[in-house]
Amino acid sequence: MQNVIAVVEHRKGQTRKVTYELATEARALADRLGGKAHAVVLGGEAGALAESLKAYPLDVVHVAEDPDIDAYLLDPTIDYLEAAARAIGPSIVLVPNTMYGRDVASRLCARLDAGLAADVTGFEVENGRVACVAPKLGGVTITTCAFRNCEYGVVTVRPNSFTAQPGGGGASVEMLAKPAGKSYAMKIESEVEEASSELGLEEAPVVVSGGRGLGGPEPFETLLKPLADALGGAVGASRAAADAGWVPYSLQIGQTGKTVSPKLYIAVGISGAIQHKVGMRSAGTIVAVNKDATAPIAEFSDLVVAGDAFAIIPELTKLVETAKV
Amino acid sequence: MRIVVTVKLVPDLNAEKRIDPTTKRLVRTGMETVLNPYDEYALEAALQLKAKQGDDTTVTLLSMASESLKETLRKALAMGADDAVVLSDDALAGSDVAMTSAALAQALKKIGFDLVICGGLADDGSTGGVPGAIAEHLGLPGLTNARHLEIVGGTIKAQRETDSGYQAVTCPLPALVSVTMAVGEPRYASLKGIMGAKKKTIATLSGSDIGFENRAPKTELLSFAPPPARTKARIVEASDGATGARAIFDFLRERKLV
Ligand SMILES: Cc1cc2nc3c(=O)[nH]c(=O)nc-3n(C[C@H](O)[C@H](O)[C@H](O)COP(=O)(O)OP(=O)(O)OC[C@H]3O[C@@H](n4cnc5c(N)ncnc54)[C@H](O)[C@@H]3O)c2cc1C
Ligand SMILES: Nc1ncnc2c1ncn2[C@@H]1O[C@H](COP(=O)(O)O)[C@@H](O)[C@H]1O
Repeated sequence: MQNVIAVVEHRKGQTRKVTYELATEARALADRLGGKAHAVVLGGEAGALAESLKAYPLDVVHVAEDPDIDAYLLDPTIDYLEAAARAIGPSIVLVPNTMYGRDVASRLCARLDAGLAADVTGFEVENGRVACVAPKLGGVTITTCAFRNCEYGVVTVRPNSFTAQPGGGGASVEMLAKPAGKSYAMKIESEVEEASSELGLEEAPVVVSGGRGLGGPEPFETLLKPLADALGGAVGASRAAADAGWVPYSLQIGQTGKTVSPKLYIAVGISGAIQHKVGMRSAGTIVAVNKDATAPIAEFSDLVVAGDAFAIIPELTKLVETAKV
Repeated sequence: MRIVVTVKLVPDLNAEKRIDPTTKRLVRTGMETVLNPYDEYALEAALQLKAKQGDDTTVTLLSMASESLKETLRKALAMGADDAVVLSDDALAGSDVAMTSAALAQALKKIGFDLVICGGLADDGSTGGVPGAIAEHLGLPGLTNARHLEIVGGTIKAQRETDSGYQAVTCPLPALVSVTMAVGEPRYASLKGIMGAKKKTIATLSGSDIGFENRAPKTELLSFAPPPARTKARIVEASDGATGARAIFDFLRERKLV
């Protein structure tokens, strides 16, 4: 496992910040292993996106724009990734720990007979062996795990764990050949947008999250969204809010929902039940706004403001907006 | 039609979870074990399909777990599953995703199925790696993150959740599907269900029963440590909005977050 391959998640050429984090870390890791840093971009507009990846210190960007990739669920993607990985040789494959990335990792590890290291936030390299550092069990332990008995290691990387750093440049772009003799079964008949997702919750640098204390769906739009926008972040929710139907489950943070580790997490009207805690306790700074200063969330926050969220949040939004201009 | 639901047995969320320093495995004894919460949604999806498909459809649970935990499956039987299979073998303890998925795939071949339904994520290991890897081992379509499922003439029609909405996806049976929580709240077991569950079968399979022996995991836990401790929270009582907002703003300034 000498080389490193970053798998690029994108939609029609629009990618996420984590792509550049992976590209940067692919280089750093490849240097420590004495190998090459590769990226693979698949699907519509992959070529254009590959050009933009040239700003990052990669050796080769592999591209395929085969329409099958967007017409069928996952299978063509895995075929191309397998072909790229086999051509490159024993390697560490980095994918983002997102819905897409977990799907890719899950399939690819079996396809490549590889080990899987999940939700990784750092790497250690000793004698050419990669060890993956990951917070586990809802953040109560930090594990270091290594691969064995395999030529490939697949790693899902937690967004926001590495800093994207352009530079280096000069990557060559190579086209991947269409895998021969394949036919696909999972047909994507149509695609429906229900919410805008300029920024995935998992990779937002700031998350403003609401819970039962918000009392209904409207405050997520009228109270939290403006603050999240001002801070350049995204809105999340506790399980109680998702279960109440105030927000879609895709916003739910915690057990059975998403795990996030933004620089800043603002919990509004969230009591801090363990169901929620396991999804956010690794955030850099945690601020809680709660009527009750003794709510469980106080035990793992950095700042607790005891007061009325409906009065505090709009004022805070104004302060942040004013500070920006 | 035979539906198999994969169910992991995990420590209760409130249990004090820790890794044994000698075996480097999660301690699973001396605490309450529950059905992995996500897998209750998988079972709910299976029971909804069974209700629509009619009586010749059966729902079988499959869990790879120590035999001592198998009675935990009784709750899922009470919810309405027809029977259960536990894959138990000391040689399977310490399995990682690669080994777990290969073993479950092998067991599924033995049991037989038209449709496999998995949860999205297990509460303890939380890799989300098992479902897709099982599909890959069996050469099955692996339709992940379904929130709505219908079967029409041997074809699955699913709404599959994405970050921004959903995709309508079709695929032929046999297939593997993983679900999201939007399939619907898992049902409660009725009193009749609870009584009936006592008579349902929980069969046990070993590694040799399914021809799965002498395998080793592909990952190895080298070490583990507690995370750096957070200092105790600063607490501010805010009598009005402006005071509270100012306290947060100043704090964010201090930490260079605005
Ligand atoms: C703290 C910790 C960290 C770990 N990290 C890793 C890691 O990085 N890489 C790795 O390879 N392994 C890891 N493991 C091991 C992993 O938990 C086991 O391999 C486990 O058997 C499967 O993975 P999972 O819990 O992640 O399941 P997931 O893939 O999250 O489970 C998804 C679904 O698969 C099905 N499923 C999973 N396990 C079973 C089962 N035993 N029986 C029936 N159905 C099942 C269920 O339907 C479940 O909802 C870790 C374990 C622990 C305790
Ligand atoms: N004796 C056993 N038989 C079968 N599966 C087991 C056994 N012990 C643990 N497992 C499973 O192996 C995986 C890893 O478990 P553990 O090593 O206990 O964390 C989990 O899916 C467990 O359910």
